[in-house]
Amino acid sequence: MSAETVVPLPVPGPPERTPVLSMRGISKSFGKVQALTDIHLDIYAGEVVAIVGDNGAGKSTLVKILAGVHPADDGGIEFEGQPVQIPDPTTSRALGIATVFQDLALCDNLDVVANLFLGREIAGVALDEEEMEREAWELLRQLSARIPSVRVPIAALSGGQRQTVAIARSLIGDPRVVILDEPTAALGVAQTAEVLNLIERLRERGHGVVLISHNMADVQAVADRIVVLRLGRNNGDFLASEVGYEDIIAAITGATEHARPLPEPSYPRPRRIGPLR
Amino acid sequence: MADRRRTPGSQTSLREANRGRIVDAVKKHGGLTQVELAGATGLSPATVSNIVKELSESGVLSTSKSMRSGRRAQYVTLAHASGLVCGVHFSQRQLRIALADTSLTVVAEHEMPLARDHRSDNEIRRVGMLVADMLENVSAERDELLAVGVALSAPMDAASGMVARPGILRGWEGVPIGDVVERTLRVPVVVDNSSNLSALAEHRLGALRGQDDAMFIEVSEGIGAGVLIAGRAYRGASGGAGEFGHMVIVENGPLCRCGNLGCLEAIAGGDAIVTALSTRYSGLKLSDVIVRAMAGDDVCIRAIADAGAHIGVAAANIASMFDPARMVVGGHLARAGELLLGPIRQVVDRSLASRLAPAPEIVAGQLGPRAALVGALAVAAEHSSAFPAVAGSPDLRVALG
Repeated sequence: MSAETVVPLPVPGPPERTPVLSMRGISKSFGKVQALTDIHLDIYAGEVVAIVGDNGAGKSTLVKILAGVHPADDGGIEFEGQPVQIPDPTTSRALGIATVFQDLALCDNLDVVANLFLGREIAGVALDEEEMEREAWELLRQLSARIPSVRVPIAALSGGQRQTVAIARSLIGDPRVVILDEPTAALGVAQTAEVLNLIERLRERGHGVVLISHNMADVQAVADRIVVLRLGRNNGDFLASEVGYEDIIAAITGATEHARPLPEPSYPRPRRIGPLR
Repeated sequence: MADRRRTPGSQTSLREANRGRIVDAVKKHGGLTQVELAGATGLSPATVSNIVKELSESGVLSTSKSMRSGRRAQYVTLAHASGLVCGVHFSQRQLRIALADTSLTVVAEHEMPLARDHRSDNEIRRVGMLVADMLENVSAERDELLAVGVALSAPMDAASGMVARPGILRGWEGVPIGDVVERTLRVPVVVDNSSNLSALAEHRLGALRGQDDAMFIEVSEGIGAGVLIAGRAYRGASGGAGEFGHMVIVENGPLCRCGNLGCLEAIAGGDAIVTALSTRYSGLKLSDVIVRAMAGDDVCIRAIADAGAHIGVAAANIASMFDPARMVVGGHLARAGELLLGPIRQVVDRSLASRLAPAPEIVAGQLGPRAALVGALAVAAEHSSAFPAVAGSPDLRVALG
């Protein structure tokens, strides 16, 4: 051992990234059912985070907490570094979290423009249809969406086109985080392709994207990070580039335990029973 | 905002532009009713109706009766009298697929991201469904599909019709690709390496027109090349020629995914660039590197320039071996333009400075990331007529040359 200590030169570190949205120790129960236990989740801008898990793993509950449908029982949420409460959907939206639910919540009888601007109509004395139509085209063009006309009722569109409209609607107001709940379920193969391209497009626009999906091929195609939930707990947080299909399935099914180390138990260690040495 | 929706005039001077708008819209959507066409182009229904009538008389478009929202409608597609061919390009992270007529006018096209190490059986099934969907979209019958060209971003072995090197497209190893695709789609299938097909496409339609001794360098996640000698792709003895990315440029250098040490790809490929930058930027993708570099991020500019310099060393070696007249750079990273081409050119020029003949020109591809897809369409079209004679033997099918 030499007395001289080598002082490493200060290396210019990577620019520190703060997550747009960060959930810390979130728990939620419905009566006796513990849906989520101590969930941690970080979402960065320009990143696609896939949340995967078996049925009943708590994916949808997690989304609903972010969307303000259910408030969390315990834990904290930080949005751009500031602690926030999300008691209702309006707050969630005002913060800049847009959610596209599985059932899309579109009005079948209204046309694309009316759906996009429902509740947020651009109006002077009367509705400014011209301006809304122009903005609708602009938005759909940015998403390279294949919608034949913005004046057809939603009922006349294909599943993929409806998904596109729902996603486009979520983008009005320029949210920081877009949450997509099973966007490719119930879609044909060409529409799935369209939606996956759309997710890439969202990422390029700098939105943080949360993708809930059961389809591993879709998840691995677009996700940057894959977060596995199992029985309401974190069971792994993988970089998509470093993980294979089998690893994810193993984490989903519980064959491997990737959960963060458990905290020290609050009760004393059990006393040794037996002869003392 | 240049593309603001406005009502275009109906003067004769605008007629040509309006025709273009209509054909573009039909191309983009595959097929549209006239009413939808009016919505998508911003033209009045009457104008659309006139132009569609005119273009279908001249054989550009074809119309069929259809129903939309309970009303009768004219469904407009591009005409494809001579039959259709399909081109598919599987790269590491992307699938591109297109239907075109035999004169290579694309009538329907899709692209989608793929998982790393995607599995061939899933993707071939997906292609089967996409083809059926696209055929329906352009209102074509199944038997109008004449042939399929498949481009794979991996070296192909001519004798077996399989991927020739492990570790490149892991989900495709050990699969006789031509046979499997043929069984799924029930049409003749041609399989080739994507760089060879890109070279053919650029030779026929792009930046290599008229250049019979030339080379196409693809720089994406990996690196590959197609070498044209006397206008034909050079395949070598086993079909695996042009593995530019797996030339060793640093002896005992970094480990490549092919298992070798010091390959060009492990130093200058897209994945290598992203990995090298990942300590500084987490969650980076190749497209982000390009966007950042173009926005003036010095670290990303340097990373691309370094990659260019390394590619330049390898390109200079190839150039002194084959003496191509022109080298075309394509693939994802080619979107960085001069940031990549400049350093390549500099190194190649310097290495070949003592030659009497000028160093090969180094230019960007004209077909962009679609080059391999266009090449796949082109070989499919080429073989759509002459194919039945060859259909039986897989080695002939792979060895196009």
